[in-house]
Amino acid sequence: MDVTNIARISRHDVVEGAKSIYSLILLIALWELITQAGLIHYYFLPPLSDVLIEGYELTVSGEMIQASLLTLKRAFLGLLIATVLGVPIGILIARNRFVGWFFDPIITIGYPVPIISLIPVFMLWFGIGDVSKIILVGVGTFWPIAINARNSARAVNQNLIWSARMMGTPKRNLVWKVVVPDAAPGVLTGIQIALPLSLIITFVFEMVAGGGGLGHLEIQGVRSFTSTQTYATLIAIMLIGFVLDGTLRKIRRRLLRWA
Amino acid sequence: MNEGRVIASNVEKVYRSERTPTTAIEDLSFEVGDGEFFSVVGPSGCGKSTLLYLIAGFLDVTSGMITVNDHAVEGPGTDRGVVFQDYALFPWKTVMGNVTYGLAENGVPKDERRETAQHFIDTMGLDGFEDTYPKELSGGMKQRVGLARTLAYDPKILLMDEPFGALDQPLREALQDNLLDIWRELGKTVVFITHDVEEAVYLSERVLIMTRHPGTRKQVIDIDLDRTQDREAIITSEEFTETKNEVWRSLREETKHTV
Ligand SMILES: Nc1ncnc2c1ncn2[C@@H]1O[C@H](COP(=O)(O)OP(=O)(O)OP(=O)(O)O)[C@@H](O)[C@H]1O
Ligand SMILES: [Mg+2]
Repeated sequence: MDVTNIARISRHDVVEGAKSIYSLILLIALWELITQAGLIHYYFLPPLSDVLIEGYELTVSGEMIQASLLTLKRAFLGLLIATVLGVPIGILIARNRFVGWFFDPIITIGYPVPIISLIPVFMLWFGIGDVSKIILVGVGTFWPIAINARNSARAVNQNLIWSARMMGTPKRNLVWKVVVPDAAPGVLTGIQIALPLSLIITFVFEMVAGGGGLGHLEIQGVRSFTSTQTYATLIAIMLIGFVLDGTLRKIRRRLLRWA
Repeated sequence: MNEGRVIASNVEKVYRSERTPTTAIEDLSFEVGDGEFFSVVGPSGCGKSTLLYLIAGFLDVTSGMITVNDHAVEGPGTDRGVVFQDYALFPWKTVMGNVTYGLAENGVPKDERRETAQHFIDTMGLDGFEDTYPKELSGGMKQRVGLARTLAYDPKILLMDEPFGALDQPLREALQDNLLDIWRELGKTVVFITHDVEEAVYLSERVLIMTRHPGTRKQVIDIDLDRTQDREAIITSEEFTETKNEVWRSLREETKHTV
């Protein structure tokens, strides 16, 4: 954001901004008030100010940043694998009968499996290291990505395909020229759905199996009776989710100006 | 030699996609001469769109034959251009991108593409909207883009499926006259589908009236109007009214059974 813009923020903007988040401000104030008054045991819910101080200390010590990077790396690599495999497979399922016959039953069976229930199996097979976590994220986020790609490629307007054909596009180029761009909004929706899922899978795996990361840091707080650490990590997780979701939305708006 | 003759001989089209096969067109024969403006009217569901898609090569005839310049139609080709009722523009391309598409697919160099496209964009009164995406255009503008993109790659035969059906009267009249000018100037063959009797009579040299479902040839009526006159003179002339009534009565015999 450039400086002149910041300078031009008016009172009206401030009032409007406050209106849009007043419920949050209220909740935060309530949190601080109730805890400072000692209405809730410190261990269950420490005051927000203590949580923020803890968060600050964890940040300057590097612990929080390291944990965040670890979690982000696992979630992101898993998501990347799922996207690279899921988008082309989803589109091929829609465009090719044989690929469809092969993968449709797999998706029907695979999609409803609560992916978290596979954590013990993955620990058996791949251990508790990064690889195990990344693969689980990949498997878990593959379904929504592939299904959204498949459904939007199936829904491609027949008249658009015919339009391309009449203007001279050979059949073999239809996927690139028509199917992929027409399906792009749906494909991106799939990735947007998969993003929080990739974080959830990573957190839970880290909580169960350790090995660092935000999930590990959060549950460590409970186990060592420092609930400020648990809450500080929770806030970090929320912030990361919020920023990533916002980034994806921004990318979507930039990429799909036409939609 | 690039001529635009269309001959349909005993065409039958059966859709087999559903559980019970639907005969859309039955034993339909007619000829459209090179450079002729030929309209098709008929009750809803009688197979007009089907007929157009058969000529375009999007669908295959079940029996009988359609030839374009004595060659049996075997798929889409750039000698024919369809103007769709729902426009079927590529939403991810700008007006310029849509109009240049056919030229690009046929290997026309870049600056020549833009020049040709610009000419038809101007002809259609779309100058200033080159960089606009379809979603930001009104229905009438989209239809003009649809016409411009089809004219740009210069098909000999224009196949138009109720192109002005969704437009209001003044816009429809303007585009009709626009189309007549283009037809005269460029010497295209036009197969024009409409449910508007007045439109059919005003525009065309001959009108094919189809029976109700399953569609076949009911009658072909010659239209003999003094085309040197302007719209008002034509529309208020006795010949026009007479021909219109003749087409209307013929069509009416088919529709009154269904209602
Ligand atoms: N893909 C399809 N599968 C099965 N039947 C179809 C298909 N498309 C059209 N039909 C049937 O074929 C017949 C002719 O349809 P078509 O769309 O050609 O009619 P139309 O004359 O263009 O109608 P309208 O004036 O309403 O546009 C209809 O009975 C329709 O139900
Ligand atoms: Mg139709």
